[in-house]
Amino acid sequence: MRKLLGTILLAAFGALAHAQTQQELLRDGNGGSTDNVLTYGMGYHQQRYSPLRQISKSTVKRLVPVWSASLANEFGEQGQPLVYNGVLYTANVKRVVAIDVATGRQLWTTALEWEPAVARVVCCGLSNRGVALYNGKVFVGSVDAHLRALDANTGKEVWKVKIAEWKEGYSITSAPTVANGVLMTGMTGGEYGVRGFVDGYDPDTGKHLWRRHTTAGPGEKGNETWPAGDAYLRGGGSTWITGSYDPELDLVYWGTSNGGPWTATARPGDNLWISSVIAFRPKTGEMVWHYQWTPAETYDFDGNNENVLADIMVGGVKRKVLMHADRNGFLYTLDRTNGKLIAANPYVNVNWAERIDLATARPVETEVAKRLRAGEKVEVRPRWTGGKNWMPMAFNPDTGRLYFAMLEETSVYQLNKELPVYKAGERYMGVENTTAPRKPGEPWGYFGALDPLTAKPKWKLPLTDLPSWSGMLATAGGLVFSGRPTGEFVAIDEDTGNIVWQFKTGSGINAQPITYTHKGRQYVTVLSGLGGGTSAKRETEGKVLPGGSVWTFALMPE
Amino acid sequence: MGFFVVCGVTDLKKTILAGSLFAFAHAASAQEPFKPEQIRSGSETYARHCAACHGPRMANPEGASDLRKFPRDQRERFLASVSKGKNAMPPWGDLLKPDEIDALWAYVATGGKN
Repeated sequence: MRKLLGTILLAAFGALAHAQTQQELLRDGNGGSTDNVLTYGMGYHQQRYSPLRQISKSTVKRLVPVWSASLANEFGEQGQPLVYNGVLYTANVKRVVAIDVATGRQLWTTALEWEPAVARVVCCGLSNRGVALYNGKVFVGSVDAHLRALDANTGKEVWKVKIAEWKEGYSITSAPTVANGVLMTGMTGGEYGVRGFVDGYDPDTGKHLWRRHTTAGPGEKGNETWPAGDAYLRGGGSTWITGSYDPELDLVYWGTSNGGPWTATARPGDNLWISSVIAFRPKTGEMVWHYQWTPAETYDFDGNNENVLADIMVGGVKRKVLMHADRNGFLYTLDRTNGKLIAANPYVNVNWAERIDLATARPVETEVAKRLRAGEKVEVRPRWTGGKNWMPMAFNPDTGRLYFAMLEETSVYQLNKELPVYKAGERYMGVENTTAPRKPGEPWGYFGALDPLTAKPKWKLPLTDLPSWSGMLATAGGLVFSGRPTGEFVAIDEDTGNIVWQFKTGSGINAQPITYTHKGRQYVTVLSGLGGGTSAKRETEGKVLPGGSVWTFALMPE
Repeated sequence: MGFFVVCGVTDLKKTILAGSLFAFAHAASAQEPFKPEQIRSGSETYARHCAACHGPRMANPEGASDLRKFPRDQRERFLASVSKGKNAMPPWGDLLKPDEIDALWAYVATGGKN
């Protein structure tokens, strides 16, 4: 009997060791084991910061690749892998792969099959930014708007649900997330006249629990910001970057995209809650507060960029804040308990708004914006791709600085005289947009370390050959990791902005590096594979070939 | 094949050159002249479905191929790529009718000029 009990206990313990828990999720990037990376953003706060310091400014010269694995994908790698108990889980638009961290060998792979015509409704590149892990399952969205749960040990499908109809323009490119026991996914389709939402599911069964729409419908506060009629049903506000979560406040923070159609002339009003951040309850989807980055958005300034949570000093007082570098060119700090604006400053060249008025919390639009809204063809800065796009920033709580890649481009933009006609699953734009020629010698953008409250840089590293579409990772080793479209994985000195180490991977890097430990050794992993977005291909002009792979680095013994 | 064997290298080059010129002339002569309304119709379909990736009026493509450089003698490849898709290019055959794809070809092959 005792032996049997022991066997049962062992079996239970064994199962537990492979079933990652809510408690572990809460502690990820928050004092939990550095052996694991369990959340998109390396913590619910999405700080993308690690306290690891084995790889540091003084040791980085010994950093070498320890393994690489092909992902057999030509569409591009934007994903952030997760790590649990020595297994690395990663996804791209074609498959999910589990890899043994120690050897780099594949444990299983599960294909994500979708009809090729789906590519018609994924505006800006076929992509998948990652998976979620919870209680022995791997969760993944696919571009045909399905959400799957896979067995973490085998990759076998446990359940699969269709969240929406791709033929109506809906797809998924973002990583799902689990907060307070609820599995959530965003969606994309802001170029196709969708109505944005975040969905909540039971992670065990796939049962649909709630839908938080991002355009205010009849009877909801905010519906008055839409014209009479049903414009809100095609109003955009897609949710294509994973939200962050504050467990103490029990609030999820999720960004929303541009309006539908692109031209705001089709939908007079502020159009809540497009180009906003919304704060809601993970158990119910109930809205608690919102803040709109770009009211009456007409520039394709999606408000989806990550919302980074931290407790920082503001005027001598420690505040619970949310930091966000918007496509519209302003770096915002909000009070995340109530959505009140604390600071907003331009971090790139901006010509559509003079400033964000702290009293009204609204942008003060310039003559350029007024002329644009009146139908003139104008040059707009930033370009519609934004001063920063989806590639996530890192926040180092010790330095108090944000690290990210900035983009400096100008669009030539005009709202069409004729309003676009909506047809399900087809582009719904009403805008003609091109890129203004670059001035000779002008950088494509910068890597930078910025103060969240002033947007003043500690340093800016001009990117003269090509911009960067790679996320950042900050570490206590005094290093910031990122990548270049030409394939170099780089380590930057966080004090000076100097690149102190680099290694050329197989293709371009437009993904999200992570760091973790295994048997006491610090590893850094990044995906290589140009694409997932259209801009990287435009900019590299065929000089970098696609082809996905995982690269893992560690220090060579002395 | 025997002809090539007895020829010198210079003759071989000439033969290939002549062959390519012939093929080009043949393709050009086999091509129907495009009607202005077909080109116009193609430009409308282009603006609706293609411009976002291939650039307004085929200029400044957003990551997709530059159609101003598409070989004018590869109509069949164009039609196949549009209807069946290729690499990141999705298939359009279930959405666009054959005459709409023909009109797109008219637009692309003429560079949008009547």
